[in-house]
Amino acid sequence: MTRKLRLAVWLLTRSFASMLGIALVVSIVTLALIGPWIVPYPDHVAGGINLANKLQPPSAAHWFGTDEVGLDILTRVIIGARVSLLVGIGITLSAALIGVPLGILAGLVGGPLREAIMRLTDLFLSVPGLVLAIALVAALGAGIVNAMIALILVWWPGYVRLAESKALSIRSEPYIEAARVAGATTTRILWRHVLPNSISPLIVKMSMDIGQAILAVASLGFLGLGARPPTPEWGAMISIARGYLPDWWWYAIFPGAFIYAAVLGFNLLGDGLRDILDPKSNRG
Amino acid sequence: MDRRLTAYLLRRVALAGIMLFGLVCLTFVIANVAPNDPAALAAGPDAGRSQIEQARRDYGLDRPLHEQFWRYVSDLAQGEFGRSIATGRSVGQDLARYFPATLELCLLAMLIGLAIGVPLGVLSALMKDRWVDHLTRIFAVSGIALPPFWFGLLLQLGFATGLGWLPTSGRLSVMTEPPDPITGLLLTDALLRGQWGVFREGLSYIVLPAIVLSFPCMASILRVNRAEMVEALRADYVMSAQAHGVNPWRIVCVHALRNAMLPTLAIIGLRWGWMMSSTVLVETVFDWPGIGLYAVSSAIAGDFKPVMGVTLIVGLNFMVANLIVDLLYGVLDPRLREG
Amino acid sequence: MHSRRHILTALALTPGTSFAFERDGARKVLVFSGNQAVPVLDPHIRYDWSTRMVQQAVYDALLKYEGSPPRIVPWLAERHEASPDGLTYTFHLVANAKFHDGSPVDAEAVRFSFERALRLNAGVAWMLKDFLRPENITAVDARTVRFTLDRPFAPFLSYVPWWYIVNPRLVMANAVDGDMGRRWMTENGAGSGPFRLRRFDGNALIHLDTVPDYWKGWPMGEPARLSGIIYRIIREAAPRRAALQRREADAITNLSPDDIGQLQRLPGIRIEDHPGATTFGIKFNTQQGPTADINLRKAIAYAFDYDSLITIHNGSAVLQTSPFPPAMAGHIDVPGIPRRDLVKAREYLARSRFPNGGITLEYVYVQGLEDARRIGLSLLDSLRALNIAVNIVGQPWTTMVSRGSRPETAPNMTSVYVTPVGTDPDTVAYQYHRDSWGLFYGMSHYENPEVWRMIEAARAEGDTARRMDIYAEIQRRIVADQPEIFGMLANRLWAMRDYVKGFSFSPVRLSGEVDLYPMWIDA
Repeated sequence: MTRKLRLAVWLLTRSFASMLGIALVVSIVTLALIGPWIVPYPDHVAGGINLANKLQPPSAAHWFGTDEVGLDILTRVIIGARVSLLVGIGITLSAALIGVPLGILAGLVGGPLREAIMRLTDLFLSVPGLVLAIALVAALGAGIVNAMIALILVWWPGYVRLAESKALSIRSEPYIEAARVAGATTTRILWRHVLPNSISPLIVKMSMDIGQAILAVASLGFLGLGARPPTPEWGAMISIARGYLPDWWWYAIFPGAFIYAAVLGFNLLGDGLRDILDPKSNRG
Repeated sequence: MDRRLTAYLLRRVALAGIMLFGLVCLTFVIANVAPNDPAALAAGPDAGRSQIEQARRDYGLDRPLHEQFWRYVSDLAQGEFGRSIATGRSVGQDLARYFPATLELCLLAMLIGLAIGVPLGVLSALMKDRWVDHLTRIFAVSGIALPPFWFGLLLQLGFATGLGWLPTSGRLSVMTEPPDPITGLLLTDALLRGQWGVFREGLSYIVLPAIVLSFPCMASILRVNRAEMVEALRADYVMSAQAHGVNPWRIVCVHALRNAMLPTLAIIGLRWGWMMSSTVLVETVFDWPGIGLYAVSSAIAGDFKPVMGVTLIVGLNFMVANLIVDLLYGVLDPRLREG
Repeated sequence: MHSRRHILTALALTPGTSFAFERDGARKVLVFSGNQAVPVLDPHIRYDWSTRMVQQAVYDALLKYEGSPPRIVPWLAERHEASPDGLTYTFHLVANAKFHDGSPVDAEAVRFSFERALRLNAGVAWMLKDFLRPENITAVDARTVRFTLDRPFAPFLSYVPWWYIVNPRLVMANAVDGDMGRRWMTENGAGSGPFRLRRFDGNALIHLDTVPDYWKGWPMGEPARLSGIIYRIIREAAPRRAALQRREADAITNLSPDDIGQLQRLPGIRIEDHPGATTFGIKFNTQQGPTADINLRKAIAYAFDYDSLITIHNGSAVLQTSPFPPAMAGHIDVPGIPRRDLVKAREYLARSRFPNGGITLEYVYVQGLEDARRIGLSLLDSLRALNIAVNIVGQPWTTMVSRGSRPETAPNMTSVYVTPVGTDPDTVAYQYHRDSWGLFYGMSHYENPEVWRMIEAARAEGDTARRMDIYAEIQRRIVADQPEIFGMLANRLWAMRDYVKGFSFSPVRLSGEVDLYPMWIDA
């Protein structure tokens, strides 16, 4: 195992793209962790107004300038990393926690239960996520929690698919048949064989999905359906900032650059991991 | 035709039909969990109780939910999507008006995606593991990672506001009469009617949103082509062709690329639905009069019939595209029919 | 600013940007741009600022509002009289008015139009529905119409200008399934107004052509008459502003205060900045929850930073000095209306059920309204002083209204903009009546039976002086009860190229609405 791991790490470091991904992810995670202690204006996080200082261009006091009510954009962008990361990880984990057990269940049990689970999955997969999420958030009301609920609802089916296909392919492997004949219980088969085999594609998918979830939440925020004020969320910031283009360009540029960096980081990381852990599935 | 193939086709089509009905149910449920009173929206801000009740009757909102549902389903069966609460307009007519704009945008974006994705994929495969390959990989992943709304704003800032080369938003300038519709696609109609000026103008409006929309799809096409090409170049017959002194470019273009066609088509099919759904963002940025903008502005106003309509249309596109891909695979790859 | 002008010069030289206004043959076309679509043109179904602007261009009414302060001037009716008991109104029509198809605007057309509006019971219907029955409108002769009200209703004349006259023949020719032409009228015009529809795409642009032989003539004279006006919808502020700078639009509205600051410095652009009539208030839930306590309401009202309302609007706003807007008849400056005073705020708080604060209140605004969102941030900032937290929630209009329909679900605080549709004080006063409970402007569920009685009395009072006295007292009482934070009136703002002439402001119009009829281009 350690040799395999070392090989994986070596392969990862050999790829420039993967290294860039790791660097980006590490920076964003670090920012999110230590953010509250390093931001220059901690009291600008909870909102408020300082109109005398609004829409100031980047300067030594405000590296990224100030927004339309005079808050420091750097501070809010850094705290925004925390928000986005939490939301991205939250959505991905919840979706996996719903999807993977359902998928394994479907794959192992088969029969009408599998049919039911898979048809429901197909139904959700047949609706492009963003449109459905917009409809859901519009119905539930804007807000970060509702945005998360909506995105989890459109995200879990992907994990069902993945887990089910893994479970199916493993079920027909000779050694599982053998284990079954030898009297192994389903739980044991699950625990010993199915899960370990699903873990690498799962890691790859989750890494990619964290990035996509961050992007999706930002998209909802941009449409005015994400975080409520005064929560500093990147997409919501851009949504307001676009009204201040082109004269106050810094307001829209910096939050967008952070979204890009975060999503790019997670995707490059996932991409690199896929090459190593799951080399056969290198498709789109 | 092969009986098994026919059976397979029928099964897929039937399944798609069931899914569509499922989607109708799903959107109906979503629209009705909202804790709001659509009648107040229909009646307008100053309306009194009598007008609100009138609106409730006019829109059938006073009927029990199951009755509303069956009415919606039977309307759908006749191609009617109901009426928008906020405007009182027929959603079906609105969709018919906005869908061609979205379709045009998506088609052009797909073309751009192919035109850039395929050659870059080939190049990347030929230069495997060299710096070109690394750069294209970062470029490809960027395509998925770039927030389309932010990228759109950047392009606007650069090419429209800054350089002034292209218009900021919209589909045509105010004084230009759109060509009489033949296909509903403005560029095609302009060409068919020989209106070059309108065509050029239309192109200048569509190019920025189409580029933004094409990025994720371009990335997928690039990745697929790279993977397929890498594999194909390793295949025996390519090796042997090379050994027999066939021009390497001929090998790339004819043999390897031909093998990559099917997966590329599949990716287009899969990406099609996603593209339609990201028009929601792109159209919002560029004020493009398509179904995405329509869905967002209705959703923000709490007007659900248009949102349901757009979800159904996009879902339908998604399903049809998937179905076509499935069928193609079914026809071309006999092994799948068993499943 | 130097670099900006530089960019502008560069813009003017690039191909594709027009150097001046659009032309159509020998005549000019004026392009006006705003953010709001015109989904339904039917004047008896719907109105909002952009819709009514186009309706006013295509249709005429018996009377018309003009100028500031707004006056009601004769239009299709050259004169009118009311009976002394305030029940009967008689209108005498002009002789030469005709619809766009050439048929005359006669008494029957007027009767039909009012009947249609009342029967459809949407749009403007609420104004007269409770006082006027269709059968009590009579065409006395071709040029005389008589309205008999069920009971005296002093504000009657102030509403008549919003009841547009449609062409009965055209409307009924296009009626299907007894819908009184509703479907057809959505995108088609049947009016006698100064403009007729050329192209109608309610979500993108509306092209109006001037009617050359408009029965009332053209104020700028025939040579200067425009070919037409285009209303172009550009939803986002930044591209709209760019369109004005690039001369793709000659006039724009829906400007943010910060836009104005930028545009003001550009040559060739004129800002029209006028006092508005739309009040912004933060309505308390006076029946349920912490804000049912008048001491808490007073505490919040004294803690709120009113100056921020002005600063948020870059100075283009005035604070409310009464529940009534200043342009309204009977308006008084109510003495002692709260301004920020933290000492008083703490006194009131100490008397409330929450002497140390420690509560969280919800502030709801219509999602997408930027100013309301920023005011929410200001409220959040202000109430920190009282140790009260604010939860800022943007919701769609429908959700807000349905929550506000019952005291049990109404938010603690809701930001509400109200534009009075006429100049009569009743339009505002009635919002504080029991009958308005649950409607969006009645979200505070304000309860004061004595005030309600006074509102009813004023409605029926024929003597103007006595009526205004009652309204003065009503304003004082409402301020004392503090059902809301009385906020501000934001100025109405337009930016236009300086060759645009004929713009006239009237506070009775809705936010971005302009009277297109007198406008022309002098260049």
